Amino acid sequence: MELLILFGTFVLLLLIGTPVAFCLGVASFATAFYLGMPPLIVFQRLSSGVSSFALMAIPFFIYAGDLMVRGGIAARLVRLAGSIVGHLRGGLGQVNIAASTLFGGISGSAVADASAIGGLMIPQMKERGYDVDYAVNVTVTSAVIALLIPPSHNMIIYSISAGGTISIADLFTAGIVPGLMLAAALMLAAWFVARQRGYPVEPFPGLAMIARLAVAAIPGILLIAIIFGGVRSGVFTASESSCIAIVYALAVTVFVYRSMSWSDFVAATLGAVRTTAMVLLVIGCAAAFGWLLAYLRVPAAMIAFMKTISENPVVILLLINVLLLFLGTFMDMSPLIVITTPIFLPVVTAYGMDPVHFGAVLILNLGIGLCTPPVGSVLFVGCAVAKIPIAQAVRTIWPFYLSSVVVLLLVTYIPELSLWLPRLFH
Amino acid sequence: MRSNLHRLAALLHLLSTAALWVAGVGLVAMTAATAWQVFGRYVLNSSPSWTEPVSLILMGWFIFLGAAAGVREDTHLGFDVLVTVVPAKVAVAMRFLSDLAVIVFGAGMAYFGALLAAGTWSATIPVLRLPGTVEYVSIVLGGVLIALFGLEKLVRRLAGMAPAHVPVDEARAEEAVWNS
Repeated sequence: MELLILFGTFVLLLLIGTPVAFCLGVASFATAFYLGMPPLIVFQRLSSGVSSFALMAIPFFIYAGDLMVRGGIAARLVRLAGSIVGHLRGGLGQVNIAASTLFGGISGSAVADASAIGGLMIPQMKERGYDVDYAVNVTVTSAVIALLIPPSHNMIIYSISAGGTISIADLFTAGIVPGLMLAAALMLAAWFVARQRGYPVEPFPGLAMIARLAVAAIPGILLIAIIFGGVRSGVFTASESSCIAIVYALAVTVFVYRSMSWSDFVAATLGAVRTTAMVLLVIGCAAAFGWLLAYLRVPAAMIAFMKTISENPVVILLLINVLLLFLGTFMDMSPLIVITTPIFLPVVTAYGMDPVHFGAVLILNLGIGLCTPPVGSVLFVGCAVAKIPIAQAVRTIWPFYLSSVVVLLLVTYIPELSLWLPRLFH
Repeated sequence: MRSNLHRLAALLHLLSTAALWVAGVGLVAMTAATAWQVFGRYVLNSSPSWTEPVSLILMGWFIFLGAAAGVREDTHLGFDVLVTVVPAKVAVAMRFLSDLAVIVFGAGMAYFGALLAAGTWSATIPVLRLPGTVEYVSIVLGGVLIALFGLEKLVRRLAGMAPAHVPVDEARAEEAVWNS
């Protein structure tokens, strides 16, 4: 009965369109009430759930990303990517993917990636005779790379949802190989489609030009090194490195590029407040929800239930992947991470999976969900930038979905892909 | 009656803008405190001990006030597919219930947050030597604003007024950034 109240209230409120944070909060509130607990406890969990130093990395990384987009750091990375891969078949499509990969190194947000890279690339691609649907497909699916390449604030959300015991440095490192694999797979898909449709290639600009563009992009590339190197070596915590990224982005855009105005700064700050206060409230409410889940022994029941379905980890992982892909089609990423981690992580570890490995699988899986209708914020942003209806973009997106799912299966079933690199650092 | 409602709406608009700005200042102050922490550790060779607890209190302000402004600006993400496909009458009922849930939770944050604040008056936050109450002020204030803005939405619907959407067409993409 308690479970019915907890999940029933949550699902009911979710279906009628209540914001996710309040679905979680009210469901926990109602359940505590039913159990005869002092409801105070829910709000205490909420308050303690948001007072963790690790959590600060989330607003910081999003803020830093916003500053870098407005300050022109992203644009310089795109130009560099253009000079390197523009001469490949599907030219600007390849550029788009390479740019997303580079951008992923300074931002962990797929939506920011789609709006920043899409905003720069889609108009260019249209102008050069690429079909708009192709431009959107490439933009949207390659934005997922940003989630895997460090820094990734979603990996931090996962670590916090798992109780804060999983090393963020390991999670960051674990995303690199899957991220690069996804980039390669998408470039392959982009190449095939480009060949079928006969898209042009860009002339090779020459090594001198590449070098010049690389120099212009150095501040951005340096930032990638600072963030990853700092976290990996333990010089900074993830929160500190994200804070350094803000200070650095401000310094570069104000003093070096001189492209940041006061109004840009205010817009970036208020934008970061708008976007992150909500996700942090979701995380706080999920802390109360998760506490009740554990109190009601849901994870243990889930493991027992899964064991009745199959003892074979291959089957269970497939099942969890399908379920997550399904949930991902109509729910957003960060609420899904905070809700599903406490339920599924104990299950997969009971089947012998490494929590770091599961983190890479979860992020990639839910990332694909951001590109699928009916609810996919990255898809929405891509279509909004290109001004085409979602149906038009989705009709031809299959080769890109297929590549992403193949990479997902590889990452799921070959643990070494995510665990090899972190192990090298130990 | 109508013009009183409009005057009230203007006041609420002011409140939500103020909440957003306070949250923004909180974010900048949090950044400064954390940057100072790193600077202290590596440059001054002495880690300041106040930066972490202060950042955490600032984050409370940033989250709860920012989330309250989000209620008024309607930027909280949820599952809104069903609401758009059901008959209009059902949608009205759904929205009504949904607003009610927001109000209840906001009121809960305010009431129980106040109990927590009152109960921790004699406790001391280490390092800062402030009463524990300080930690819970933001949740109370955020809760009050959330309930207030939720109530405003409900009243607007009942009175047939247009929703209080701030014109944020251009900001929409940014607002979705949080979930990616």
